[in-house]
Amino acid sequence: MSRRTTDIPPQMALLSDTVAVKHLTRGVLSGQEDPPFVALVRASESVGGTQSRWSIEPLRHLLEEAQRRHSDVGRAQADRWLAPRLHATLRLTRAEAAEPALWNYLALVVAPDYVVWRHRSGGDGPKAGLVTAERFCGLHYKQAFARLWWTAELFRDGSDYRPVEIAGRIPDLINTVLRLDVVDHRPTARAVTRLVEQGVVRTGRELNDLVSAVNVAGSTIMYEVLAPDEGPDPEAVEYWISEAEVAPPVPHEKLPEGPDDGPIPARSVETLSSMFEKLYAEVPRRGKEPCPTEVERPRGVSLDKPYSPTWRA
Amino acid sequence: MKRLIPYPTPVGDVTFKVTGAQLDGRALDLSMVSQQDRVVALHMAGREKWREARLEIQAQIPDIELANGPWTEVVCVAVLTERATNSRTVVRLRPWSGSWGGTAVVPRGAFRARLDLTLSVVATVGGVAGRVVATAQDSWLVDLTARVPVRQRELDINEMDFRDGPHEWLRPFRDAPWLVETSGDMPTIHLNTGFEGVTELLGAGSDPTERAVGRLLATQIATDAWTAMFHSAVSDLEVDGDGVPQWPSGWRDWVLRSMLPDILPELSPADGLLEIHGRRSESSGWHELQPLIQYAASRRAHIAKNLGTVIRVLGRSGRESTG
Repeated sequence: MSRRTTDIPPQMALLSDTVAVKHLTRGVLSGQEDPPFVALVRASESVGGTQSRWSIEPLRHLLEEAQRRHSDVGRAQADRWLAPRLHATLRLTRAEAAEPALWNYLALVVAPDYVVWRHRSGGDGPKAGLVTAERFCGLHYKQAFARLWWTAELFRDGSDYRPVEIAGRIPDLINTVLRLDVVDHRPTARAVTRLVEQGVVRTGRELNDLVSAVNVAGSTIMYEVLAPDEGPDPEAVEYWISEAEVAPPVPHEKLPEGPDDGPIPARSVETLSSMFEKLYAEVPRRGKEPCPTEVERPRGVSLDKPYSPTWRA
Repeated sequence: MKRLIPYPTPVGDVTFKVTGAQLDGRALDLSMVSQQDRVVALHMAGREKWREARLEIQAQIPDIELANGPWTEVVCVAVLTERATNSRTVVRLRPWSGSWGGTAVVPRGAFRARLDLTLSVVATVGGVAGRVVATAQDSWLVDLTARVPVRQRELDINEMDFRDGPHEWLRPFRDAPWLVETSGDMPTIHLNTGFEGVTELLGAGSDPTERAVGRLLATQIATDAWTAMFHSAVSDLEVDGDGVPQWPSGWRDWVLRSMLPDILPELSPADGLLEIHGRRSESSGWHELQPLIQYAASRRAHIAKNLGTVIRVLGRSGRESTG
């Protein structure tokens, strides 16, 4: 595996969706073939800088360590360990992290082996042994690395990554909560992990009940007004990113430190967590009925949706 | 989006506008704020690396109605959101000589390209704090990459549940996945969220087959939209004193100008307009035009290209699952 780092350029790059999707063959999705590195590197674009934060070597080390540590305990457990460390290694602004081409490059060129290791499906159906394409090239809550980076970004409390680790205690959390707009508000995200921390919600099903209730109430209640947050300090994020030049590799045992862009106001978290606990208590228990895994989708019309361009003149 | 709400809301209008913008402390030229299109273009030549933009916002809300009704602790907030960066900023406005005003700060790193700016009135009502009691009808678009404030969008897309949504007239169509409405200032595609799976399919992820089918569906909707818009534009044509049809304005103009060359390729646009109006009002030769209108609509919707791609993708996934 580590041989790859000698085959490919030492820096991160951008690989467009169009090119990426073309190379997601069955062989790649099953891990039986490597993606064609030479062709992919040739088709990719520079990230526009040579700072050490774009270096792929620390990323490779981190991903190999994640596999080594979790090969026995279960690969889903790796998310919780990797999310804060990936976030602290690949230091990005949100604007940079919103670029799918960066994640495509990481998945197809730098670490396809990790994507297959983490996301290959079990069982013996027709899709057994395959990774779904969206783990390589997909939305921020689906793509193998984007989902971890964004989990760390949306759940961290300033420089403190502990809430991210708490979030990782329930594997479903990333799948169900990350896509919802309500967690874009820091105190809301923290209040959800607070209830996980306190043991109020323990299972994926309980979490679904909680976030559905929070999301439905959020359509008529503006949590930002009840629980104000001055918001993160963008200059602290910039400083933290520039510190990547001198920062040592992230620790494997302890949690790394994130950007010190201001703690989430404790009172706001208190307000919301007690409110959410009440909402959760009011959720009718469904007895033995199967739990719906789908939560309400984000509302509204976005210009970013892939189907809008066709309708232009 | 309006929906049924279990608490009283004011009937008065809520409106707002961006009255000015600054980039790193320098005032933007007024031409970069379009009141008509409700767009702010933040890209300034020679300042690629700006750090912070500030938007001055001014809002009008029904103050008197709110003061005399069941609402307390009324606040007026501007909300900046961008889906791609999961960024959401809420700014409290302050009452100031008959309106509400405030400044929204847009740090560069937290946003990527296009932000939605909306305005809400939040109040305590029925003992519940933080209720959204009103939202401005129209939102603004803040474009970080544009030099000129124009909207890229020529169609409104309205996602709502036809059966349970607030629009009575959509209810009879509850089993339709979509409807095209061409009556307003802007053609609107109503997408039925009550038709399970449609919005998910259109926003499909990265599975190539799913995406191909999603594109095909989008193509089908677009074909419907173009056909409906063309018919609507032709039937709304106004004639001058000599019976000569006049070019309409707005979307009707660009629909006709872009489709006529495909329908009557041998005629100039002006002659094409005359011909098409003649055929429709005299009902002679109108039926013969239908395949051509269909063809023009399918071209605008890129149907050949999208269908061809879907067939390729399906063929490939078929080969993969058998081989």
